[in-house]
Amino acid sequence: MTETAATWTDGRLPANVQVGAGTVISGPDAFKRFRTHRDPGLVIGENCTMDLTHFSFQPDGEVSIGDWCVFASVVLMCERQITIGNHVAIGWNTYVMDADFHPLAPVQRLADVFAISPMGVAAGLQRPPVPAAPVVIEDDVWIGPGCMVFKGVRVGAGSFVEPGSVLTNSVPPRSRVVGNPAQIVGTV
Amino acid sequence: MPLPRRLDWDWWDGLIPESAVLDDEAHVESSYQFLLDRSEPPYGVRVHRGASVHGLTSFDVGPKGVVTFGAFSVTNGTQFVCDEEITVGCCSMLGWNAVIMDSRRVPFDPVLRRALLERVPLSVPRRLLGEVETAPVRVGNNVWIGFDAIVMPGVTIGDGAVVGARSVVWNDVDSYSVVVGNPARVIRRLDAEERALVATPEGTLAYREALHPFAGAPFAPVRQVGQPVATATRNSATAVDECARSTRARPAAP
Repeated sequence: MTETAATWTDGRLPANVQVGAGTVISGPDAFKRFRTHRDPGLVIGENCTMDLTHFSFQPDGEVSIGDWCVFASVVLMCERQITIGNHVAIGWNTYVMDADFHPLAPVQRLADVFAISPMGVAAGLQRPPVPAAPVVIEDDVWIGPGCMVFKGVRVGAGSFVEPGSVLTNSVPPRSRVVGNPAQIVGTV
Repeated sequence: MPLPRRLDWDWWDGLIPESAVLDDEAHVESSYQFLLDRSEPPYGVRVHRGASVHGLTSFDVGPKGVVTFGAFSVTNGTQFVCDEEITVGCCSMLGWNAVIMDSRRVPFDPVLRRALLERVPLSVPRRLLGEVETAPVRVGNNVWIGFDAIVMPGVTIGDGAVVGARSVVWNDVDSYSVVVGNPARVIRRLDAEERALVATPEGTLAYREALHPFAGAPFAPVRQVGQPVATATRNSATAVDECARSTRARPAAP
């Protein structure tokens, strides 16, 4: 992988991003919320097209994306780890997230609200830990527009996720998936 | 018909493509809406009089696609993904960020999909530009589609139907019914009394043509959708069925 081979249309790539030859990333907000300290925090393979995609990573987040992927207006929200294979296509306004980004327990959630408030930030309040579980999208998956993929989900190779599906559970390879919550309605 | 190539009020420094036919009394907010448009003459996007197309609406129309947006219909931010035909009737409202697609833009078979993805870096523009399965989408008159709803390929939505926010519509929707959910299901149908408020036995258009403030002016309704031809209204049978005719008159692709 050569970092310099990437065609980057809007500004500088962050130093902890590795991009393969022939890959294009576009959109002014791609790295607006790219807060990861990991190095590399984001690895993208060769010949990918990342069109208006948001890489919204928390400080400990790391994401790897394979070769020949096409993402259009996708939001990748990463607390810890998202892994995406080769030949994955994801449609407009789909969200992939490996955490809920705030604690579920009510008391901890309240603590989090104080911690992220301007006063909490000024006082250096520690945020409570956020549960995260890695998301894996295997090779040859298509995810249609308007979908959501939640924490801990593994999408099996070759699966076809129809538009608007909300994935809360893993699906085996070559599944055709529809609905909210997503149901397996057939095989590819 | 004069074609506005550059809109006076446009916030985006762009041109309305030649293949977009906008009526004089239609309002299109910006040429930005045609950024993804690859349609070809005679036309790929047709916006009828009195219609308004606001905000970040996007006409993502392929070379063989035709989007027809009927008179007095309104949308803000709908994404039209069209490789064949998307027709919206009169006086319909399409909510923010709704997606109306007659094509998924990818093949169902992972092996074919892989081949298509490997052509993307060489494509101009650099997008998924394959020949894929399509099925026309027809939205009737007086339809209301909620925010973020998705209408899948091949769906016909009948006159006066309401689609709830965030619904995903897989099956045809009967006239004057309300559907919600993902996948969408019918939760309500207007009874005869309610229906009489918006439609006469002769149909919606007859009622509206008599009452609407521009009565007497040519209205160019789309044919009624979701009902058999035999029950089509007297008026819609005689009115200028401009949209449908223009679509049919389009020459076959070489």
